Amino acid sequence: MNKKWVGTNVPRKEGIEKVTGKSKYIDDLTFPDMIYGITVRSDVPRGTIRKIHFADNINWDEFTIVTIEDIPGENVVTLIESDQPFLADKEIRHQQEPILLLAHPDKSLLEEARRSIRIEVDELPAIFNIEESLNKKQIIYSDDNIIKEYLITKGNTDDVWDSAYKIVSEEYHTGAQEQLYIENNGMIAIANDEEVTVWGSMQCPYYIHKALMPLFDLPAEKIRIIQTATGGGFGGKEEYPSIIAGHAALLARKAQKPVKLMYDRAEDMVATTKRHPSHTRQKIAVDENGKLLAIDIDFVLDGGAYTTLSAVVLSRGAIHAAGPYACENIRIRARAVATNTPPQGAFRGFGAPQSIFAFERHLDLVAKQLNMCPVEFRKQNFLQQGSLNATGQKIEEEVRLDKVLDLALEKSQYFAKKKQFAVHNSQKNVKTYKGVGLASFYHGAGFTGSGEVYLASIVGARLTADGKVKVLAASTEIGQGTNTIFSQIAADALGIDYDMVEIETPDTSKVPNSGPTVASRTCMIVGKLVESAVCGIRDTLLKSNLLTSEYTSQQFITASKKYLEDFGELKIFVKYKPPAGIHWDEKNYRGSAYSAYAWAVYVAEVSVDKYTYEMQVDDFVAVQEVGEVVHPILAQGQIEGGVAQGIGYALYEDVVWRNGQMANNQMTNYIIPTSLDAPDIRVFFSEPFQPGGVRKGIGELPMDGTAPAVISAVENATGKHVCHVPLRPEDLMMLYRKET
Amino acid sequence: MNSFEYAMPKRTADVFRALESSDSIIKAGGIDVLDLIKEGIAHPQRLVNINSIDELKYIEGNQTTGVKIGPGTTLAELASSEVLSGSYRALAQAAGSTATPQIRNSATLGGSLCQRPRCWYFRNKDYHCTRKGGFTCFAVNGENENHAIFENDFGCVMVHPSTTAVALIALGAKLTIASAKSSREILVEDFFVTPRENMHRENILEQGEIITAIHLPPAAKNMVSYYYKQKAKQSFDWPIAEVAVSMQLDGKKCQNPRVALGAAAPVPMRSKEAESALNNQEVTIDIAASVGKEAMKKATPLSQNKYKVHIFQAVIKRTVCWASDIDPFA
Repeated sequence: MNKKWVGTNVPRKEGIEKVTGKSKYIDDLTFPDMIYGITVRSDVPRGTIRKIHFADNINWDEFTIVTIEDIPGENVVTLIESDQPFLADKEIRHQQEPILLLAHPDKSLLEEARRSIRIEVDELPAIFNIEESLNKKQIIYSDDNIIKEYLITKGNTDDVWDSAYKIVSEEYHTGAQEQLYIENNGMIAIANDEEVTVWGSMQCPYYIHKALMPLFDLPAEKIRIIQTATGGGFGGKEEYPSIIAGHAALLARKAQKPVKLMYDRAEDMVATTKRHPSHTRQKIAVDENGKLLAIDIDFVLDGGAYTTLSAVVLSRGAIHAAGPYACENIRIRARAVATNTPPQGAFRGFGAPQSIFAFERHLDLVAKQLNMCPVEFRKQNFLQQGSLNATGQKIEEEVRLDKVLDLALEKSQYFAKKKQFAVHNSQKNVKTYKGVGLASFYHGAGFTGSGEVYLASIVGARLTADGKVKVLAASTEIGQGTNTIFSQIAADALGIDYDMVEIETPDTSKVPNSGPTVASRTCMIVGKLVESAVCGIRDTLLKSNLLTSEYTSQQFITASKKYLEDFGELKIFVKYKPPAGIHWDEKNYRGSAYSAYAWAVYVAEVSVDKYTYEMQVDDFVAVQEVGEVVHPILAQGQIEGGVAQGIGYALYEDVVWRNGQMANNQMTNYIIPTSLDAPDIRVFFSEPFQPGGVRKGIGELPMDGTAPAVISAVENATGKHVCHVPLRPEDLMMLYRKET
Repeated sequence: MNSFEYAMPKRTADVFRALESSDSIIKAGGIDVLDLIKEGIAHPQRLVNINSIDELKYIEGNQTTGVKIGPGTTLAELASSEVLSGSYRALAQAAGSTATPQIRNSATLGGSLCQRPRCWYFRNKDYHCTRKGGFTCFAVNGENENHAIFENDFGCVMVHPSTTAVALIALGAKLTIASAKSSREILVEDFFVTPRENMHRENILEQGEIITAIHLPPAAKNMVSYYYKQKAKQSFDWPIAEVAVSMQLDGKKCQNPRVALGAAAPVPMRSKEAESALNNQEVTIDIAASVGKEAMKKATPLSQNKYKVHIFQAVIKRTVCWASDIDPFA
């Protein structure tokens, strides 16, 4: 196949609409007679609802009020485990638990009405963090507070400890992180007893579709979900939108009017999911040359009050926990535990940033104790072609992580800087300490294990009346470039112009279920299906003798129109088939967890103010092997954005928990780096390891390695071993104070 | 948000009439007022937009005569003002380091002085704190890392958010406050009200009064000034600590210093301790460091903000050095 479009920087498919302000986001839309909804939530973290009181100061007749009595079907958000209700029945498990819903034509009356409802609750003692949950201070979930547990074992670690040259143990902590997409969550619904339609900001139309069928007790064809222009997601619009859509639709069904339910920033931050906080215990044995002999990891995530996606977030975190390193003996115990906080959920990286942070930091500590260069230490333990990783998956491709490393060292001038900074730091009259740090890591693209097989994604393509091709997929454009890359891939597969490919709006009445827009899977998995689907169109035209094997774009249009004249329509659907040689043993957590991995080495350079402990990232080099790069500018943008978000994770973004909920749910207090705070992020794509246009996901990759690289640089600057993120200046001060 | 009347007077005299009803509030740049209304903290029946009054926008005078500034002058205009580039530069620096370019293009000097607190509990409609008429200061036993390290034992531990006030106090500036009936002059440092004096207001403005002018006194001989703030992120942020210093510098000898601290107390405050440690000294790095230490001697940090004491020492030291043209890191 000749590639004319893939690999080039074509204009974004929806770019003009976005920059000219024509794109309609959910809050830009209004419908005739539309009214506005609001969610009444618990204000205690745990308890039993006794009674709901409506104050006299409000004329409640004007309001639409939805309680559990108004739910026509099952009061449960269908996802992995069906444990979370749309509206709390009797039991309250966290402070932001929705209890009832209000709607009114005048938006300004909602807030006072919400405050005029008092939920009388028999409060129960609550638990708020991993320690309290593991210690079973209260049992709030199952009989041991464990939402999910995995054990990955390779070899036998217990045989190693006694004879090892050195054993190094340490504990690591990561905090929660808010996705902070630029557009808040929101939905508009129209509903009656027979059908439900919802428009909104989302990543996964079919997740909502699946959740609303049992809620309304309606068949698939009676529920219609339509994505509107969406301002970012980062995982934050993966599962929570199902709840908002359900709420809006319940109100709309009761009011018999369209209902808009928009979260403002404060509500979005306090009530919706965040990155799981984590605690990790690391124990590593090495020989005197720095070879990894045994790795024992105990990885725990705080899942919050309901299961949501914690089981799969945990799975990805566990599988990535030992990084791209070869070791004969590995034991990874992973647990997600329940607490009385709003449920945590999907966020770019999906468990991997937490476990990779702990492991990369620990490798620095082991290298230090061995008195070895952290780069050499890593390099000699890298996975190679033919090695088995933690789950026993044989690495089939010709991995050259050492080449990625070399490029990163060269571009960052790692060794020269290390020397230069050592001299700088020994001087008395300088304002800052300087340091350079590194992380090497890989990220598996697509759903874990048999996930893609269970999903069985479907993509379609059809001819349009003017002879062009329209891609039918539920994969959403959320700012990352789905529409653009699908068009590039389809145009090249067909040998036609980029402008001749159109993308159907993700609308469950028009597109098949191509799976959720998550897990860095859109380009790799769905992109491949797009290719197959449009090839089906071409093959049909060839078989009908309307085209010959060589054709121009114009000839394609002529042939398409002729086909439509003769046969009415042409639609092709294709379904995911797992690649050969991929086997996953779900029970024992062994086998090929992912069909492809992206490989990366990131280097950060920081300066630390000697007196205020303020930390600034001065330079950042991100080198990765991601297979074929479909759109270099978009890909670079993904990496830059992920690195900036990773810097936020490392140095700025501190979710302050109070009584089980986020206390700083405002952008004044929860600070994220802006483009002015970000360093020059230098992005390099290494030559693909495999020829033949293999593509790997890149969306999550940059989130994995940034924080460990930044903190490694801080450690190089200050000599302090840092075991947690976020690391605020005052935390660093405390590390200094502890020593003196 | 409630519906409200909107008044747009063209002259100062008309403002007073528009302000007669007690539930009207003023909007200048609209930066803080819009937040307050959206956050459900202000519920005006009438919003009086004074942003279109040209006679409130000016910078007049010079270092010899003193400078008079209209309250409608934007922070961006102050930041780039020639008149403020010499002895008065602390004010230009303060204005220029406030918020973002977009905000500085709208925010006014008057508005900067009259902002309401940024305390996260005050700004969160779910917390009915002392300043909003409740009985609890949630920050005292709550998240108080950004709160006061002075004057924090009287029921509200917020810090005043005005950055320009810190510079104005260091420069010895005065305000003209006028109503329909009268007008008065007051030092900027006397304009603010501590929780001890009144828990429910941040300044002395009565209903119907507005600031009509800000006056910088004539610059004393060899007067220098400097403003600096430490923030959590460097692009734009509220301060962890901010300091403005002015003094007469004869060679390196300092006289009549004025040291003002922001983000330290519920009001922008002068540090008399810092001033007496600095007065009549030959400024050196060591003296600057000791000024920082002296200024913090009486600090009473809360459970989570001991870090601020440390930072203030550094920021004061650096600001004193930079004001005296000394490299604090040499």
